[in-house]
Amino acid sequence: MTTYTGVLLRGVGAGGIAGLLAGLFGLVVVEVPIRAALAVEEARPAVESGGHDHGEMFGRGTQMVGGVLGAVIVGLAIGALFATALAGSRRWFVGRPPFTRSVTLGAAVFGAAALLPAVKYPANPPAVGNQDTVDYRTMLYLGVIAAGLVVVYGSSYLASRLTHLAGPVRSTVVALAAIAGVAVILLAFPASPDPIPADMPSEVLWQFRLASLGETAILWLGLGVVFGLLTDPSVRQSTARAQALAA
Amino acid sequence: MTSPAHHLSLPIPRWAYAVALLALMVTWLVLQENGIALGHAAESLHEFFHDGRHALGVPCH
Repeated sequence: MTTYTGVLLRGVGAGGIAGLLAGLFGLVVVEVPIRAALAVEEARPAVESGGHDHGEMFGRGTQMVGGVLGAVIVGLAIGALFATALAGSRRWFVGRPPFTRSVTLGAAVFGAAALLPAVKYPANPPAVGNQDTVDYRTMLYLGVIAAGLVVVYGSSYLASRLTHLAGPVRSTVVALAAIAGVAVILLAFPASPDPIPADMPSEVLWQFRLASLGETAILWLGLGVVFGLLTDPSVRQSTARAQALAA
Repeated sequence: MTSPAHHLSLPIPRWAYAVALLALMVTWLVLQENGIALGHAAESLHEFFHDGRHALGVPCH
């Protein structure tokens, strides 16, 4: 446990589990509005649809497998990054139990990398989105995520610099700074360039957006919880051993 | 320092940066690749992970 390799393997394992849970949620829940959106797309005249036809290269079944597999692979990758960030952090909730640290970091990254972009640039199902603007939209989306992660990092840095303040005062100052940072991001980034097509039912759109947000929540919160469960006991044990040796 | 307990902070070996880079590249390939790095081969990758990309909130066409 006391090696980086041990932490990394736990991170990858936790990410794989969280990714599988998220992928299965996607298969059962997110697929419903995706199917409805694809039906809208197929109902359009062929000339107008633009872009390329979904499901021509792969059947729907294969793409559904790809949806689960994609979530698992992304889970493994972010699990490795998550473990490295926690192992390397000297400021992040120092002195708190590893489980608390892990769940809190998972929640913070969910806020920055999933909830914030979902508020500013809500996820869209198939049949929404112009091929010509996809690069611009991708840039805005990644920019919001990067800015959100800067707010998370900045908040932990600020908290570590304000240790002379009383706990509640420090928490309030850090929370206000984080809220101000998020407000600046939401105001500074331009609106999404693509209008929602008139033939897309708003129920399908919102069902998809909520389901997609649910999947990312399972991915990030699941990663925080599972990684915390995997690391907490062994960190406590090695801490107890170190204290016994010191005594 | 309120408590010396519960340290997860560890020395990070240099190869960890390679792992982090690999993880970022994998995430990019699954979620973002639109042909910048792989050209035409990206299309099959993109199509295979299409549902996953949409479901995870990534901008798509």
